[in-house]
Amino acid sequence: MAIQFILVLNRQGRSRLVKWFNNSYKPVEKNRLISDIHRLISSRDSKHQSNFIEYQQHKLVYRRYAGLFFIASINLGDNELSYLESLHFLVEILDVYFNEVCELDLVFNFYKLYAILDEIYLGGEIQEISKQKILNRLAEIDKLD
Amino acid sequence: MASLKSFIKAVRKAKTIADERSVVRKESASIRTSFRDPNLDQTTRRINISKLLYLYIMGEKTHFGQVECLKLLSSPRFADKRLGYLATMLLLDENQEVLTLLTNSLDNDMQHPNSFIVGLALCCLGNIASPELARDLYSNVDKIITTNNLYLKKKACLVAAKLIEKDPDLAEIFLPKVAQLIEDKHHSTLLGVTRLIQIIYEVDLESRPTLVKLIPKLIAHLKRIATSGYMPDYDVLGISDPFLQVSILKTLRMLAVDSACSSANLEQLNDVLTQVTSNIESSNTDAGSSSSGKNAGHSILYECVKTIFAIQSDQSLKILGVNLLGKFLSTKDNNIRYVALDALLTVISIEPMAVQRHRATIVGCLLDGDISIRRRALELTFAILNEQNIRLLVREVLLFLEACTDNDLKPYITSQLVIASNKYAPNDKWHFDTLIRMLKVSGNYVTMDILSNILALIMQCKDMELRKHVVGKVLSLSLENQQQQYQTTENGSFGLSLVTIWCLGEYGELIMGGNIEVNGKSVAVTEKLILKLIEDLLNNSNFTDSETVSLVTYILTTVLKLSVKFQDERSIEQLRLILSSKSYDNNIEIQIRAIEYQEIFASNEKLKKGLLAKMPAPPMKEREALSLHPKSAKKQQVSLSGSGSGSGSTTTTDDLLLDLMDDGPVPENSAAAADNNNYKPDSIANRNANILDLFDNPSQSNTSTSNPIIESSSSIPAFSSSLISVSFSPKSFKAGQAVVEAYIVAKSPGTHITQFQLLIAVPKSQKLSITSTSGDYLDASNSTIKQVLKIVGKEGAKIKLRVKVKYVANNETIEDTFDFAGFENTL
Repeated sequence: MAIQFILVLNRQGRSRLVKWFNNSYKPVEKNRLISDIHRLISSRDSKHQSNFIEYQQHKLVYRRYAGLFFIASINLGDNELSYLESLHFLVEILDVYFNEVCELDLVFNFYKLYAILDEIYLGGEIQEISKQKILNRLAEIDKLD
Repeated sequence: MASLKSFIKAVRKAKTIADERSVVRKESASIRTSFRDPNLDQTTRRINISKLLYLYIMGEKTHFGQVECLKLLSSPRFADKRLGYLATMLLLDENQEVLTLLTNSLDNDMQHPNSFIVGLALCCLGNIASPELARDLYSNVDKIITTNNLYLKKKACLVAAKLIEKDPDLAEIFLPKVAQLIEDKHHSTLLGVTRLIQIIYEVDLESRPTLVKLIPKLIAHLKRIATSGYMPDYDVLGISDPFLQVSILKTLRMLAVDSACSSANLEQLNDVLTQVTSNIESSNTDAGSSSSGKNAGHSILYECVKTIFAIQSDQSLKILGVNLLGKFLSTKDNNIRYVALDALLTVISIEPMAVQRHRATIVGCLLDGDISIRRRALELTFAILNEQNIRLLVREVLLFLEACTDNDLKPYITSQLVIASNKYAPNDKWHFDTLIRMLKVSGNYVTMDILSNILALIMQCKDMELRKHVVGKVLSLSLENQQQQYQTTENGSFGLSLVTIWCLGEYGELIMGGNIEVNGKSVAVTEKLILKLIEDLLNNSNFTDSETVSLVTYILTTVLKLSVKFQDERSIEQLRLILSSKSYDNNIEIQIRAIEYQEIFASNEKLKKGLLAKMPAPPMKEREALSLHPKSAKKQQVSLSGSGSGSGSTTTTDDLLLDLMDDGPVPENSAAAADNNNYKPDSIANRNANILDLFDNPSQSNTSTSNPIIESSSSIPAFSSSLISVSFSPKSFKAGQAVVEAYIVAKSPGTHITQFQLLIAVPKSQKLSITSTSGDYLDASNSTIKQVLKIVGKEGAKIKLRVKVKYVANNETIEDTFDFAGFENTL
């Protein structure tokens, strides 16, 4: 499993998306982890610092888009650059799907956000890499609802 | 009941945290109540579960909704199913018992005619599969994986990989499918297949030769993608499908290091690596400026470099790899530089000279704005340090240390500096000057271990002029330090003070009567000056409690030693006063010492001279370089030597004793030494001898504490040789923690075994500590060695031990290694 979890946090540390692929975290641990990670990442300067931090036995790859931090935790041996690109891929999909995505879209449509995530990642691995296929798929599923 | 939207709005409207809590509590209570209604309709259930998910994202408790999720997903409506699966994946994980209720729904849905529903079920299984679910449902996945529906096929590949991860026995089920799947040209399927290959290779040794045969196929795919030109579906700013390229490269790397990989395959791989890198390099220069666009290309290059240095690659390819890293290092992009430093750390053991060439850039990164990069650069700097560049690099490291604000990092730097300069110092003078400068800039972050190392070095120094230089230098720095403290509120330098005090006591006569330079002015070293420094240090309140205790004990010894060096009656009287003032100290260690020293102080000159003579130089301990990098951190392995060191839980005094009694190399534990409050300024060798005297007859003292242990009936034999047998007895297994006792028994009672060591390694996911031992020898008086092991890990995991026993029998060192996994219980 490459990705342990994916988080989307806003600048105040509020979670907008929490997805755990690694099932070994306990509930209490999860909340502590999130606030820890927020503290760590929000204090970093995005211009002059890299987008990677070693955290416990894993590596955090993150990127800020406006007021939101998109964060993925990966294994130490994994390719950081590739997962950074993958987070960007996720954001691009969101941007097209929500037509210029903003934080409120994610707040009110969090269940859609999860559905999108499930089309891109599965069990902590990257599943689909064609934007068009994912967007078509999402449109079809929305019709079924 | 209100809609999801109005609930979210209500939460957002809350002005204070208390307001928000009350909204959340109210909603949570009403959801709970509604779930109790046996006639709850699916629409209301759906709304409630969606609210529950919102609570989940907020980090609230949601476990009470687990069964409701399962009810929702068993509904025939797609909208219900979709939300039901979504919620199940979030609110449940593989550790929940309700998961067994899911088996039937998953089984049905994976056979559903609607591919969307099959997709939902697959996705759910892939996210929360438990070993039980894996065993129950693998046949469904096995069927789907051969479908022509690409959407399901790619999912099935990843789910299969996940099931194998949960139950490695399933590898053989899916292995036959790989050969056919790899023929597929679709990118998403290939992405899934590479993952499947990786996991099968990892868990199933027997499959490896079969998988290695796939190398030509993977190379062909990689070549096709890398040279395909523009692919609208998979293009990332001019690079064709970087994700798949990275994944194929990773898989190839894994397979190509296998011994079954033929040289023809390696040659092919060498070719394709050259091709891929040159391809991206040329497109990178075309694409030009934007750094985000380069990221995708760099991710592939980075993976290529990793592969180049992992496999047996041509010399030319290795040069290409190092050059690529050099290019990475010279970019402005921090991410790229970070990965380059990371990669260089692995390259250094393979191509040390090539890494040396980038020395200037690496040193430059020490000044980077990003702490992650600075840390990497620091570690790399120590890695490339050698006889030729030590002067240059140590100067940079000292500058770094001076400017460093990260106090956690300093003990690492000081330890590494000491190790490196012990190893490569060009001459003794440089060596001492470096150590002294280090004490000056970072004296508060030097472990006790390192300090005693420095003292030992001074004792070993044969050159009297140099020794004089050292003593004079530390004294002048200490005096400067004291003066500075009056102006600033900076902390005193503990390490420097301690070394100075010790030097004065031991070698004070070398500099007394001479001159030293303090802040550019020449100052005469008089008895008064030394007394003033001692007084100042005694009154300095900037040290921590434990530092004060160590420093004062050192000062007392120095005071005593000076009493035979000073000439002036008044100064000697002052020394006596210092001793007597400390005989009322609150700390028992200081008090005892002060009173004992007073006795010596009062005894006749001749006796004193003999007692207070110079200490002989102690033998030096070999030190191993430390690592900052979690990747290269040593395996969880606890070594037991002597009477059981290594366990961090032992008390201070224990540590001290163990350290002294130890006759083999002790695992480097710099932290343990730091809290040795009762470190004595006497020579280490002396102490060794004294304390060993106490234990002169170790068999006696040990047998009184360790009653011969009768092997418990439940113990499981694990290993037996002609001399000894080892057995394990499980004591308690619960909640992710197991306590096991190991018994080592000699085969025949006459065998005399000494220096017994039991080294045990556990899988990376578990942690092992060895808490106690009953001795390290077997003879007529001690027939059994008992050790208590504690293993902590994930609940349900099987305990596997790799054990190495090492001992001396009949003057012969014997080593045996064996694996043990015979416990019935799991964690």
